[in-house]
Amino acid sequence: MSTVTLTIDGHRVTVPEGTSLLHAAEEIGVEVPHYCYHPALSAPAQCRLCLVDVEGAPKPMPSCVTQAQEGQVVRTDQGLAREMRKGVLEFYLINHPLDCPICDQSGECKLQDYVHSEGRAHGRGVEPKRVFGRDDFGGDVLFYGDRCVMCTRCVRFMEEMAQDPVLTVVERGDRAVIDTFFEQGLKDSSWSGNIVDICPVGALVSKDFLHKARAWDLDHTPSVCPNCSQGCNIDIHTRDNVVHRLKPRENPEVNGHWMCDYGRGRYEWTNRSDRITEPFARGDGGWLAPGWHGALPSLQERLEDCRGPVHAVASAHASNEDLGALRELVERIGGGDIVYRSARASDEVPLPGFPMLARRRDLAPNTRGAELLGMHRVGGDDASGGLDKVAASTGTLIVLGDELADQPEDFGSRAELFVYLGAHPAPAARSAHFVLPVTTFAEQEGTFTNVQTRVQRFEPALRGAGNAQPAWQVLGALTASLAGEPAPASAAESFSRLAARVPEYEDLDYDQLGAQGVPANRPAAIAGER
Amino acid sequence: MSAPARVPFHNPGWAGNTGEFDLTEADVRGTDFVGERPLDGGHESAAPSYPYMLPDKDPDAVLFEGPYKERFEKIRTRYPTARGALIPTLNLAQELRGHVSPETMDEVAALLGLASAEVRGTVTFYTMYNKRPVGRFLIQVCTNISCSLCKGEEVLDAFLRHTGTELGETSRDGDFTVIEVECLAACGFPVAVQINSRYYENVLPDDVPALLQRLREHGE
Repeated sequence: MSTVTLTIDGHRVTVPEGTSLLHAAEEIGVEVPHYCYHPALSAPAQCRLCLVDVEGAPKPMPSCVTQAQEGQVVRTDQGLAREMRKGVLEFYLINHPLDCPICDQSGECKLQDYVHSEGRAHGRGVEPKRVFGRDDFGGDVLFYGDRCVMCTRCVRFMEEMAQDPVLTVVERGDRAVIDTFFEQGLKDSSWSGNIVDICPVGALVSKDFLHKARAWDLDHTPSVCPNCSQGCNIDIHTRDNVVHRLKPRENPEVNGHWMCDYGRGRYEWTNRSDRITEPFARGDGGWLAPGWHGALPSLQERLEDCRGPVHAVASAHASNEDLGALRELVERIGGGDIVYRSARASDEVPLPGFPMLARRRDLAPNTRGAELLGMHRVGGDDASGGLDKVAASTGTLIVLGDELADQPEDFGSRAELFVYLGAHPAPAARSAHFVLPVTTFAEQEGTFTNVQTRVQRFEPALRGAGNAQPAWQVLGALTASLAGEPAPASAAESFSRLAARVPEYEDLDYDQLGAQGVPANRPAAIAGER
Repeated sequence: MSAPARVPFHNPGWAGNTGEFDLTEADVRGTDFVGERPLDGGHESAAPSYPYMLPDKDPDAVLFEGPYKERFEKIRTRYPTARGALIPTLNLAQELRGHVSPETMDEVAALLGLASAEVRGTVTFYTMYNKRPVGRFLIQVCTNISCSLCKGEEVLDAFLRHTGTELGETSRDGDFTVIEVECLAACGFPVAVQINSRYYENVLPDDVPALLQRLREHGE
């Protein structure tokens, strides 16, 4: 590939031919302010903020669409370019309400950032500002017209990515405003949450997040969306141990910059307060709370005594490490069938402009991981039924993470030993001999294997409830003490045990999975599934 | 050096019939350019040109039928994309119905296979689309620089006073809608007033009652 060498702000930089000045500047760590340009969308060069001073050019050039040329000398940081941005930013503020104190975008707002760094310290406007008020676009999206900078990223997202052009610029001049066709709204678009993400200012905000938290108070934890088998990379935004929103994290191999509204909106369960917080063991007179040090040894004894058939119910919401530890324990005590139940939608919902991404049919993050461990799916598409054989078990019964919502109260009452590991109380597990609290995916680290058989890591965003522990730790400790070996001390260690067991994970190393995940060793299968 | 040619004090331009000069449109423009265009738009090359602004409008007219359907089809053949044909199609719809209502936008979008939102964006961008019903005569008074210097605002006031309407409203008899417009490109003959598709130039506030009377009696 041929390259060109140019000078930006006094630094020489060599980039492939056809690179825009904006990207070339990025190469040397210079961020040229911009609104309308977004890497995944077309560039109309209309915000006029990324104008840079190119030596010899008759006028300032928009860096988002101007291609780097050999020998060009570009200035982004001083003189004309800086003066120009100052002027453009002043225009942006002519009708801007400056309502940062009540604006959700405050703290992550590009207008705020740019004006603070390069704008005028004092406004010179004396005329009254025009006022639009706000408009409900339907779904989760609320529009504050006065804050809008008319970058039209949202219009282009709906046109190019969602390919459902329901947004447009209405009117002209200072009356121009983003709107849908009169009261039509976003028509239940499955992807509308993304326009809130790409809005550089507070014009498009989420109703769900409205006035819930200030951006600077939120902790961002890299994670993986738990709501379907696509496994979109996300950041979990938390404050004071409460999840406030999920935001997509860029991963060009999985979800690009996007995620669907279905996944985005389903995080409330991670904040559930009805949690199992202590390990319980059934005693003669009722439930005892012996603590982990009391519960695990007595459970180990019971497991050693059990000789009947082993049945296990897993959950596709559990991490690979959890499932691997369950598989290992089941094999240690004699081997048996492991089933899981998960909800399944009637169809996939692809993002037309980025077809690799779809809301998948499997509405659980780790169905592929469960299958690679030889677990198989039972029950209906609503994650119910299918447990008749398990419920009738007279041997050992282990349930991990399945809340058994549809099961009768006497579920598992015939089992010789019934162990329930879960985050939330399950009324159907009242016959259990042991009820052990485990953490949710948001409270532990681990990996999910998505529909592309890509193994992706997630980090703990919340503190575990009470004495809850990750399931891999609980199950791993049991297996280890049954075998007289040391227990796995970390998720990484648990994953390496798993990698030794599952051929697809053979070459994978927990640390090398990084923030973006790595495809498992099934290139043919991956190609076929895309 | 010869003396400069004398410039006549009054320059008539095309001022309608101001009384001083008895010129017809044919006198000014030449007979080649005068005459009715056929409703179906005539030759394909002429079909998408500026619409007739008919005094009689039918807000319930069908989009499109008869000669209008022919004209729409001619318009459609002139553009490589449906998006390209949007503006002339809207012109046609407005010519027929007098204004472009939300329902009209939706129908045009369906006719061309475009998104309704995009059609709305286009209609609202251009000020020459009437978003609301207008009277039989749409009176557009220029108050841009030249016309303003020659009492454009007073002419506008006179129109509002003599038609008894508010700016942008339609008179009770349904005859007149008066709006203020930016430059009509007749800066040489201020104050310029466009009534439906005709220009009236050099209009003074005192001319207004007679002008309105003439419109009531004889039409454009």
